Amino acid sequence: MKRGWLPLALMTTLIVALGAYAEARQSVFLSQQNLNALLLEAMPLVLVSMGQACALLVGGFDISVAALMTMCVVTASFTMTPTTSGFALVPGAFALVAVGLATGVFNAFLIRVLRLPSIVATLGSLSVLEGASLLLRAYPTGPINSDVTGALTTSVGFLPVAFIGVVALAVFADGWLYRTRTGLALRAVGLDATSSRRLGMSTGRTVLLAFVVCSVMASIAGFYLAAEVQVGSPIIGNQALESIAAAVLGGASLAGGKGSFFGTMLAAFFLTEIDNVLPLFQQPTEYADMTIGVLILLALVLYQAPELIARFRAAPVA
Amino acid sequence: MSIPGPVSPEVLSVRGVSKAFGAVQALRDVSVDCRAGEIHALVGENGSGKSTLLGIASGFLAPDDGIVEIGGSRLRRHSPAAARQLGLGIAYQDYSHVLGLSVAENIYLAVPADARPTYGHMQSWAEETLAGFKLDISVTAVTGSLSLAERQLLEVAKALLTRPKVLLLDEPTTALGPDAVEQLHTLVLEQARAGVGIVYVSHRLPEVLAVADRVTALRDGVGQGTFEAASVSEEGLIALMIGRPLQVAFPDRRALPEEAEVVLAVSGLRGERFGPIDLVVRKGEILGIAGAEGNGQVQFLRALAGVEHAAGRASCGGTELDRRSPVGPLRAGVVLLSGDRRGEALFPVLSVRANATVQVLRRLARAGVVRRGPERRAIAELVDRLRVRMGSPEQPVSSLSGGNQQKVSLIRPFLRGDVKVILAEEPTQGVDVGARFDIYEALRAKADEGLAAVVKSSDPLELAGLCDRVVVMSRGRIVEEIPHHELGERRIVEAIVGSRGGVRAVTDDGEGTNA
Repeated sequence: MKRGWLPLALMTTLIVALGAYAEARQSVFLSQQNLNALLLEAMPLVLVSMGQACALLVGGFDISVAALMTMCVVTASFTMTPTTSGFALVPGAFALVAVGLATGVFNAFLIRVLRLPSIVATLGSLSVLEGASLLLRAYPTGPINSDVTGALTTSVGFLPVAFIGVVALAVFADGWLYRTRTGLALRAVGLDATSSRRLGMSTGRTVLLAFVVCSVMASIAGFYLAAEVQVGSPIIGNQALESIAAAVLGGASLAGGKGSFFGTMLAAFFLTEIDNVLPLFQQPTEYADMTIGVLILLALVLYQAPELIARFRAAPVA
Repeated sequence: MSIPGPVSPEVLSVRGVSKAFGAVQALRDVSVDCRAGEIHALVGENGSGKSTLLGIASGFLAPDDGIVEIGGSRLRRHSPAAARQLGLGIAYQDYSHVLGLSVAENIYLAVPADARPTYGHMQSWAEETLAGFKLDISVTAVTGSLSLAERQLLEVAKALLTRPKVLLLDEPTTALGPDAVEQLHTLVLEQARAGVGIVYVSHRLPEVLAVADRVTALRDGVGQGTFEAASVSEEGLIALMIGRPLQVAFPDRRALPEEAEVVLAVSGLRGERFGPIDLVVRKGEILGIAGAEGNGQVQFLRALAGVEHAAGRASCGGTELDRRSPVGPLRAGVVLLSGDRRGEALFPVLSVRANATVQVLRRLARAGVVRRGPERRAIAELVDRLRVRMGSPEQPVSSLSGGNQQKVSLIRPFLRGDVKVILAEEPTQGVDVGARFDIYEALRAKADEGLAAVVKSSDPLELAGLCDRVVVMSRGRIVEEIPHHELGERRIVEAIVGSRGGVRAVTDDGEGTNA
């Protein structure tokens, strides 16, 4: 598992390097205020990317997460309005998680029972959820309870509580993935479903769980997106491809069975950092997209370098 | 026929099992049982239903009819997990390894939950476990880096780790050299003495008869009886394995001139699963490749066509083939008819016309635009000649029967004027009897025109009837060559099961057993 550290090292280096460069150019970058804002801004992408990593681990994709996050923001604008108070907010919050659960089960049903490729299945749910969001809110309206959004962004010093939470979650999740039997089973299913079934593992349940966890993580990401926009916007979520990018930069393999939650988290922070830093240089945001694209390609080549070299040695043609 | 009086309790009992895949009846009312402490051999030709039977016994496949009992309890839910719980262990022919995980992790996943150490002790535990089987494999190695022989031994070890009451071994020696076979057999005998019932599937009769107590033969999905191993001869078993109700006609062979020109020459060709192989095919000759599945025949053909990588030399008409990609051999006139019709040979959704002419469009085009008239005329005659049964040349090729699909892929070498060698992999698999003759006739017609053909088939009867000469492959090498005057179904089967002296003497140090 030695090579598993490569994505973590690369992401950490890039975060620090970009931060140092930004600080050198514009000293506001390392201000407590900016760091706090940056960390909070990253929360939706961090959470949804960690969910996405689950889907990638079992060899699938979930591109419905973007629309699911939008749906959660829209739902929040109904169930957690400024006039809802106290205990009435609890079922309101559960409504968001319920939307996530339902989407996850629906996706897993399409993939496991109807045998649709996950990319097609979740593309379908993406459109359904997008349409539903627009039906409920044709334009951004419906303010969201500020007590909730305030609670979500609580910070200790410049560190948001949520940040501490996701770091702990990522460490715990990686420990589970690489240090327990069930984590091993999940990776085995992602690497080779047929062999896993032969070894007596319930591959169906594993895939179901992975997609449900992915969707629930997306709905929690929806809370933070709601805290950011504070209004029921039907066109806000666009993190589908970015979440896959983060998981891949964090070490996940598109073929399944490989990945790191901590690496994914770092990569999500890094992608947000790029977005955050570019305005400081007065550079157009298009550069951010291009930078991200180039970085993903470079990282993929770097992560797979040993295999690529081996393949070229073995056979002159792939 | 069967043996009276059970001596020990039955640990596996399969009764009246039937299974069909689409139109193919893989098993029909088959019953087999295995007692504690016995080694029960299951023999049959390729496609006789052995693997299907094991799949059903192990819960991987659900039978259409019939029941499976393991250790006296009925298998109600058809899943590998349920069968394991009842006490069944299986070593799959194509393994159950997760190649991306380490050896230790694979062993860990293979044992039942209560036998697993804590996760942290996995490595030392895995080392001890492998030492217990006298296997010298590094537990930290990625399983995908093991040689095929190591994978095969590890597969058997994993099956034993479940502490099964009954152990199923599906062709456990395909990748093993004689020493490793010996090692495996010692292990299997030990287990049998300890009271494990063992079902041993193999096509290598001498190997399996050396250790078996009883033998059951299968033919075309039907049980041919169970016998005491000591009471049957190899000849008797072979007679049970072959013999076919339906006789197929074959086109006439023309006598080949003694020293016809060599079209295809192969020397020292070796790939991951075969080699080194030397052979020549002459003008007008159809060479058959026989052997049990998984002995490198397919890989050899694919390497010749440049689809798989291999070292060594192969030339066509005196010119060395550029085998770095399929383009080189194709340009030199070597055409592969893949056995995977839907996946490789044809474009299932495209029309018969498009599939037939795809390789010769340049010739049918004027200024880059394909002219439909000449295109239709080009295939019309061949459609008649090969008797392709279809409604219209515009219907998708996937709507045709298997035999007619195969004929469409055979139109291609006829359309190309430059073909020198046809490499056909299982040309009549899934093809009904009537269409078979048309395909044989087409291949023979091309040979008579001066081509050379290499036909890989798992059907000895077909090879005997169609070919001018047959080579038999085992563990990646040619172990026997059967000349024209000796050809016969029985002769080929005997060579495959290795019952004639000398075959086993061909030693096998290949396949990375020393890796």
